[in-house]
Amino acid sequence: MNAARPSVALFFCGAVLATAAERAWHFPTDILPRLTQAGCNAGKCHGAATGQGGFKLSLLGDDPAADHAAITRERGGRRLDFANPERSLFLRKPSRDLDHKGGQKLRNGSESWRAVRDWIAAGAPFGKTELRVTKLVVTPAELRQSAQLKVTAHFSDGQTRDVTAMALYTTQNDAVATVGKTGQVTIERPGLGAIMIRAAGQVTAARVAAPFKRELANDFPKPRNFIDEKVFAELSRMRIPVSPEAGDVVFLRRATLDLAGRLPASAEVRIFIKNPDREKLINRLIGSEAFVDFWTMKFADLLLLDSKKLGAEPARAYRDWLRQQIARNTPMNQVARALLTARGNLTQNAAANFQRQKTDPRDMGESVSQTLLGIRVACARCHNHPFDRWTQADYHQFAAFFARTRVQGGELVLVERGEVRHPRTEKVVLPSPLGASKTAKADGLDYRPALADWLTRPDNPFFARAMVNRIWREMMGRGIVEPVDDLRVSNPPANPALLDALVASFVENEFDLRRLIRDIATSRAYQLSSRTTADNRADTQLFSHAYLKPLPAPVKADAIAQATGQPDAYASQPKGTRAVQLLDAQVPSYTLDVFGRCPRTDNCADPTQFGGGLSSALHLINDPTLNAKLGPAVDELLKKYPQPRALLDEIFLRTLSRFPNDKERAKCLKHIAEVKDTKEGWQDLLWALLNTREFGFNH
Amino acid sequence: MKMSNSITRCDGFVRRDFLQLGMLSALGMSVADLLRWQALAASPKKESKKEISCILIWLDGGPSHIDTFDPKPDAPKEVRGPFGTIPTAIPGVRLSEHLPLTAKAMGDIALVRSLTHELGNHNTGRHYLMTGHRPTPVVAYPSLGSVLAKESGFGRALPPYVIVPQAIEYTQAGYLPGAYGPFAVGGDPSKPDFRVRDLNAPEGVSIDVEARRRNVLTALDDFSREVEEGLATLARDAFYEQAYKLLGSPAAKSAFDLKKESRAVRNRYGSKSIGQGCLLGRRLVEAGTRFVTVVDRGWDTHVDIARNLPDARFRGSGKLPALDRAYASLLTDLRERGLLDTTLVVLMGEFGRTPKINNRAGRDHWPRAGFVCFAGGGVKGGQVIGATDAHGEVPSDTPVRPEDVAHSMLKLLGVDPHKEYIAPGGRPLKILDKGKMIPGLA
Repeated sequence: MNAARPSVALFFCGAVLATAAERAWHFPTDILPRLTQAGCNAGKCHGAATGQGGFKLSLLGDDPAADHAAITRERGGRRLDFANPERSLFLRKPSRDLDHKGGQKLRNGSESWRAVRDWIAAGAPFGKTELRVTKLVVTPAELRQSAQLKVTAHFSDGQTRDVTAMALYTTQNDAVATVGKTGQVTIERPGLGAIMIRAAGQVTAARVAAPFKRELANDFPKPRNFIDEKVFAELSRMRIPVSPEAGDVVFLRRATLDLAGRLPASAEVRIFIKNPDREKLINRLIGSEAFVDFWTMKFADLLLLDSKKLGAEPARAYRDWLRQQIARNTPMNQVARALLTARGNLTQNAAANFQRQKTDPRDMGESVSQTLLGIRVACARCHNHPFDRWTQADYHQFAAFFARTRVQGGELVLVERGEVRHPRTEKVVLPSPLGASKTAKADGLDYRPALADWLTRPDNPFFARAMVNRIWREMMGRGIVEPVDDLRVSNPPANPALLDALVASFVENEFDLRRLIRDIATSRAYQLSSRTTADNRADTQLFSHAYLKPLPAPVKADAIAQATGQPDAYASQPKGTRAVQLLDAQVPSYTLDVFGRCPRTDNCADPTQFGGGLSSALHLINDPTLNAKLGPAVDELLKKYPQPRALLDEIFLRTLSRFPNDKERAKCLKHIAEVKDTKEGWQDLLWALLNTREFGFNH
Repeated sequence: MKMSNSITRCDGFVRRDFLQLGMLSALGMSVADLLRWQALAASPKKESKKEISCILIWLDGGPSHIDTFDPKPDAPKEVRGPFGTIPTAIPGVRLSEHLPLTAKAMGDIALVRSLTHELGNHNTGRHYLMTGHRPTPVVAYPSLGSVLAKESGFGRALPPYVIVPQAIEYTQAGYLPGAYGPFAVGGDPSKPDFRVRDLNAPEGVSIDVEARRRNVLTALDDFSREVEEGLATLARDAFYEQAYKLLGSPAAKSAFDLKKESRAVRNRYGSKSIGQGCLLGRRLVEAGTRFVTVVDRGWDTHVDIARNLPDARFRGSGKLPALDRAYASLLTDLRERGLLDTTLVVLMGEFGRTPKINNRAGRDHWPRAGFVCFAGGGVKGGQVIGATDAHGEVPSDTPVRPEDVAHSMLKLLGVDPHKEYIAPGGRPLKILDKGKMIPGLA
């Protein structure tokens, strides 16, 4: 190295120092996002619980203060070299100038490398401590074709900055859209997807909805209500056609199963064929006792109503209270309020049992947010949520709402001593709703009314949305957001306008459950056939056709009992109790277990998660209880329908809710003629119908 | 800490139906075509000469490594814990004093002491070990058992993948068709009335009647025009086919019958469900099942390990003696029956536990360190692979990651870990994209 160089270098450094010092650096938004983008603070690198190689950063940059201290002050500050910034370990290691187990994370001379160097040269300041990024805005927010994303950070001081180059982009569905490091999105093929964007400690997403390139042969049918408008509008944009309307008997079966949790009786099928008034049917079903039983069961599943956990008396009282609310069509916001704020004797104020789901306030916070808000905050217990906006502070502030309840002497009471501490600062944390920064106001000792107020406000972005999405799923077989308890920024709805419209209507109509159900049931979208066309076969998210739903376990068991006319006997239950009416999953029943009933120990958003499969098939084939129903069923049927054709019609109507087609009729009558013992022949047919593919699905 | 809420996950979540990506496959195939194509691609042409099966003994909850296979007798009391150590069949290698039978069987065992990862939650940890992948919101990964089921196909009467007693999360088929999920035997194999239900026609239904009924059912399913073929219906059809195959094979059904085993053998495995579960596993692989997972719960010992791990309260109250007896008996039994070479036995849980005893006399989650025991199926027994530091905190030698465990298992079982499957939506996915063979394992 010749003698001239050092002075040139010094001069150069001086120039750099001068310009670097002029800029107002802010570590959390200038430097830290670059580390996130480079992967330095990922979970498998320095963001791990014990860091790497003696250097620990907070996971994905969720603790800028600690990170700044680690970088600038740890180990006697040897990571930074203020006199020669380029010789800082903090730069030399990730640029592979020195050995770095993590590989090359910064390229020498790149924009990020220079930014870090300049920041070091400026003395590695933290910058304004109160300055924070409040949100990210991405444009375009919705992509129908390949595009370059632009990401703008909004600061707490009102300023905005383009952070496109610093953001971390992840595609949620690389089959539909890929994204480059600088936010260039390429549509690979038609479909739905999302690009998750992380920058400066915030998360947001851009929705991808790339249409098919084709002309649609037919117009969409005339919308019957706002639901149809939104469903058809998105399908039209995506160039996905709808299937035709479902036939009358198909609709009868579907609506009866979805609204009343049972099969239509054969008489109902015969009557409906003659007079297929769908709206009348819907109203009749919604007004029926069976509706109340069925939806009480659904809500009891959601609320994890379990007598083993709650005790027999409280559980019974809780279920009775719940049933009363469904029967009276109590607005859902009032139901939520009651669940959150009830106290006192657990049998007389049975809604208080909701708060016994978990004993630890943090577990309660997780459970309540999942159940009532459709949000999974669990990740934020230990660090800021990697895919969503929730911080550890948010998590613990929400948990704090549940810190003061205890069960004492058969009562839910409030105690003075009950608090949640932030695990890092160890300071007591006061309750604050998710996404709100203000501490809630207490009513004496009780913070819960404030929580209920927040949750049930018309502009609360979570409760109505989660509720509407769940009900939609129950009726349509799939939520607009899936999973239904994972609504988050980086998991956008398949049809955002539809969800928004449903929420608006729900709130406007004061959280009226029956109204929501009726609106869905009367829509054309709900009444579409499940048969697909070539062009909508692959649609599984936008409701271009009805989606097949397996029968829930209690409904399936009840359907077998009803079709055979032989009710099941459940331990200690009055004769004729149907499975949907059972208090909880503690009533022993192998059939219900193997069919996959919700055990009510954990959330059961997906009914096919438990049971089903080979065990279920074996059970339908060989269950002695099912087999024992066949004889008495056939005996009774033969008395009423001595003629084979009429009897055949009857068993088809009872099981499949339709008349047999020609092939079926021919095969079955032939079977009866061939089998020596006529009764046995009919038992075979009844058994077979209960085992058919068609019987087991709500189509 | 109670058994985890199956929904709470830190690094993402797994849902089978999330994979309905809403797009046509690139090749314009229908779903049915896709599945048939897959089934054809998967059906084994011919059995390879040495078909290796797997028994995975899953210690659910996270078994403490220091109190079992990686004791630290020289560490301070608050790390080494309340238990002593004993020598084993491998000179210089010691195990927890509560694993005497296993200690004698170490000649068959390759003990990995350097399992390491970062996922300290039950479900994320379990996902990682069961599938070889970190969980992500984008893909639902299949368990290794489901992969084996797919590779084996349904050519036999016995289901290729069985779980004892119940399926737990992440033991299922993920993005693979539901038919490749595990068959759960249900119940509790240690109970005297244990039986797998519905394997026989009800009383009064003769073989002729069974056949007659099946005939009608097939016709009715055929003639129905109402329900379109799709993923769910194909799964249902596959289950019915499997059911009839199983029902039609007395040999297969008999494999599930523990009563066919002598008292002596049953006693040898011990009277707890882990023992009888391992015995059932042996019977099943003997009869042709490719992958059996025996789930033993209760290893999440946050509290009072002195009370919960050994038989401190009464005989049979502890986890360790039951495990010891079950595991050692299984290996011995397999060896005596000439099955050890063709049966890979894997013993592990989702992570190890904290080296320092906590203030409830227990240990908490510690994914940084853990153990995996391999035996049989071509594994070189009588060795220890890898090590942890003086306090059992991190690997000091040969760190082994869960994808390495998965990779090694698949290779030993004759499956190429880099084979590509087509997930719904036409996306090609390698079974594993990371992981390497554990050095010196086989």
